Amino acid sequence: MNISEIPAWESLADEPMDSVDAEILARTAVLYERLDPVPADLVDQLRFAISLEALEFELAVLVVDADRLLSVRTEQTSTVQTLTFTCDALTIMVNVGSEGPGHKRIDGWLAPGSAGRVELHQSNRVLTADADPDGRFAFPTVEPGLTRFVVRLAPEDRHAPVATTMVEI
Amino acid sequence: MINAEAEQGTLASRAGELFERYRAGEAAAMGELVALLTPILWHTVRAQRLDRESTEDVLQTTWLALVGHAESIADPRAVLQWMLVAARREAWRLLRGQTRQTPAEIDEDAMATPDHQLPENVALRDADDQVLWAHVSALPERCRELLRVIAFADRPDYAELARALRMPIGSIGPTRGRCLAKLRASLTADARWELR
Repeated sequence: MNISEIPAWESLADEPMDSVDAEILARTAVLYERLDPVPADLVDQLRFAISLEALEFELAVLVVDADRLLSVRTEQTSTVQTLTFTCDALTIMVNVGSEGPGHKRIDGWLAPGSAGRVELHQSNRVLTADADPDGRFAFPTVEPGLTRFVVRLAPEDRHAPVATTMVEI
Repeated sequence: MINAEAEQGTLASRAGELFERYRAGEAAAMGELVALLTPILWHTVRAQRLDRESTEDVLQTTWLALVGHAESIADPRAVLQWMLVAARREAWRLLRGQTRQTPAEIDEDAMATPDHQLPENVALRDADDQVLWAHVSALPERCRELLRVIAFADRPDYAELARALRMPIGSIGPTRGRCLAKLRASLTADARWELR
């Protein structure tokens, strides 16, 4: 069919939408759902893909303490904030200190002490540091923001990488 | 931030609210957001003539990008627009690679082909669907894309979403716009079309 032969559609274009338009669009949605349905398991797949399990990390969760709740929720954080993350194999402790406006210093250690690589993930950057055989590591200059740590233990430990939940530092 | 209106609001406002909750530390809100936005994103990417399997890849990449950039997104309330733009861009990136290699594979995908005929391998359940499909598929490609995406959203969001799809201002919302006007005119001129 040739659309250009249909009169008056151009004047229709400038009118506000009404219930007929709503029905046309609703039926268009149903039509596309029938013709080209979203795969039934796609939502679950996507959820899995963005979860840490899919990335084969073991998740270390934050041990919540009262001090942290106070310090995280205020703009002017007290001088040092201690965060502890745990999973079966590893505990990650980090001290977040203020190094002047806009900069933090992070000193951390892994327990049990173990050498490895520690990554600090923020939205648009990843910093890395080596943990010494006692499990100590440091990031001297860190910008505040949502942060997650990923710990890759030395190969001889034969352990999956550990990722922490995201926290605001 | 959270109010009753947003609670029951449009697709875009509900998405924005869930994304804000996720950024505030509520991890489960991301799962809800995935469920909420997957239909409209699916049809956005499929409208770019990408096959179904590649569309799944595009959506995964787009969601990973959202999670990766969660903190740097300037306006969390506009997360739906952000996702539409990101998904389309990723679809194009993939298409540029695909078309060089396997144009035949793309053509055999009935829904993605600008075909004025009904797709032979898809049974439309009733005559109404067949009529609607005949008129939808007669639209220019950009109009089909616009209406296909808009159909999964709510009216107050139309203008914003059209902008995210790089449609000209006034394509849809608050007025009907050319694409919907064309479809409506051709449907109402068709004696087989009846409103329910």
